[in-house]
Amino acid sequence: MLTFVVFSLKRAWQGFWRNALMSIAATATMVLMLMLLAGFWILRTGLQAGLDYTESKVEVVADLKDKTKADEVAGITDRLVKLPEVDSVHYVSQEEALANYRASLEEQGEEDFTKYLDNNPLPASLEVKLVDASVFSNVVELLRAEPAVAKVKEQQTTVDSLLTITNVLSTAGTVVLFIIAFIVLFIIVNTIRLAVVARAEEIEIMRLVGASDAFIRWPFVFEGAMVGLLGAALTLGLLYIAAEPIGRFMVGFFTVLPLTFGTLTRDLVVLVAGAGLGLGILGSWLSVRTYLIK
Amino acid sequence: MKNVTLTPTPTASTRSFRRRLLGRGRDQAAADRAVLVLHDVTKVYPNGKTALEDVDLVIPEGDFVFLVGPSGAGKSTLIKLLIRDEVATHGAVILDGQDLAKLPRRHVSKVRRKIGIVFQDFKLLPTKSVWENVAFALEVTGTPRRRIAPAVDRVLALVGLTAQRAQLPAQLSGGEQQRTAIARALVHDPRLVIADEPTGNLDPLISWEIIQLLLRINDLGVTVMMATHNADVVTALRKRVVALEEGRIIRDEVGGIYHRVD
Repeated sequence: MLTFVVFSLKRAWQGFWRNALMSIAATATMVLMLMLLAGFWILRTGLQAGLDYTESKVEVVADLKDKTKADEVAGITDRLVKLPEVDSVHYVSQEEALANYRASLEEQGEEDFTKYLDNNPLPASLEVKLVDASVFSNVVELLRAEPAVAKVKEQQTTVDSLLTITNVLSTAGTVVLFIIAFIVLFIIVNTIRLAVVARAEEIEIMRLVGASDAFIRWPFVFEGAMVGLLGAALTLGLLYIAAEPIGRFMVGFFTVLPLTFGTLTRDLVVLVAGAGLGLGILGSWLSVRTYLIK
Repeated sequence: MKNVTLTPTPTASTRSFRRRLLGRGRDQAAADRAVLVLHDVTKVYPNGKTALEDVDLVIPEGDFVFLVGPSGAGKSTLIKLLIRDEVATHGAVILDGQDLAKLPRRHVSKVRRKIGIVFQDFKLLPTKSVWENVAFALEVTGTPRRRIAPAVDRVLALVGLTAQRAQLPAQLSGGEQQRTAIARALVHDPRLVIADEPTGNLDPLISWEIIQLLLRINDLGVTVMMATHNADVVTALRKRVVALEEGRIIRDEVGGIYHRVD
């Protein structure tokens, strides 16, 4: 057994270097494919984080009648907070609403015409943040039943369309990720097959002198694993170098999202190393199969 | 169509062959001692081509057999059946008592180690030295390291290549390359050595050297089967000749010559 493992590892190492050009080609393909995979995965993670964030901003807004008393507001807030689907309730006074409005005008570069008003036309409101954007009917019902509530802006259409986008993107993303993985496997198998074909004579001799399937197969599998790991290492190295610009791009693209790059990196290392190793091993396994005993 | 003649010729191997047959039923004795038995073997390829038909052949231990016949007569198919690269469509191929058709896949490699095979194109690895090429056959079959060196040294001495052990195949003459291949075929201590046109790429003088080497190996008790087109060699040696034509054995005679005598 030890003889076998030593033999296989030695042969894998020799095979990798003896056919250096082929090995470099296979590794380069592996790096390209893993980059594609990693790039897509980063994009998808970013998109998902963006959607999660946007989803978390979705809220039900209830305009309050003028001169609603503070204890009435507190009562409604209490009742809302008791609902399991409510995350938090924020009271926006008339003054705050006006201030927010002015700020938004200023941001858009419009003239602040509110200074011509002699009273504040904006209502006070309650902004209800939801735990899950899709569950809001109870909140809306409760608010409608309140006598102090003038109008409920339920934003149902906004929520619905946002959820549709989220679902489509995450389903499509998963599908595309699988398609990429499949294409990667196909290309890797073909590249490794070329390396195996280059050594067909050696395999033939091994078969003729009575080498068992394991002795023929495992050196190639180890070699495939080497190509996979080397490819993964190079990919991660390149990603590490590119992490800074990518991070800036991501933050810029998704406008200050609370993305945690710590978990992104750990998951990415696992994904890239796992995919590289898996593809290398599977690729060699499939490529060498043709040459084994019928 | 079968024409099995046992002509009494006074060569050492046929004498011992015939001595073994004395006093017992011929088939029984042959089967007991046979390295190889083919019984009613037919091989039809998936494309419908019949490569071998009703082939019966018994090769006793220590025999030296020439396998002759035109190209496409079925020699290559026969050899493929012996190393179980192909499986017979009908009939039994029994090597050293084991029916190859019934052999589980995982035992095939072990059975192949009982056969040493030599080809016209040598099939040496160009990046390995003579010594490494021979040792390769042992390495890839999981032979412990300490047993490889003595075995390789022994067969290299036998084929007379001890001095060239460190050279690469490209640095050797054709005859030396073929001797390397023969050494590799012998290193497993095979029950049967199959030489497929071993002199096809060599000039006549070197060819004789290779034949002499095969005869010497045969004298040491190894059964040898040699497929060849070399009429001079076959006719001169007067060994057993098995002639194939269109997938059938048309002649099997001890002390035969290359061409059929009518």
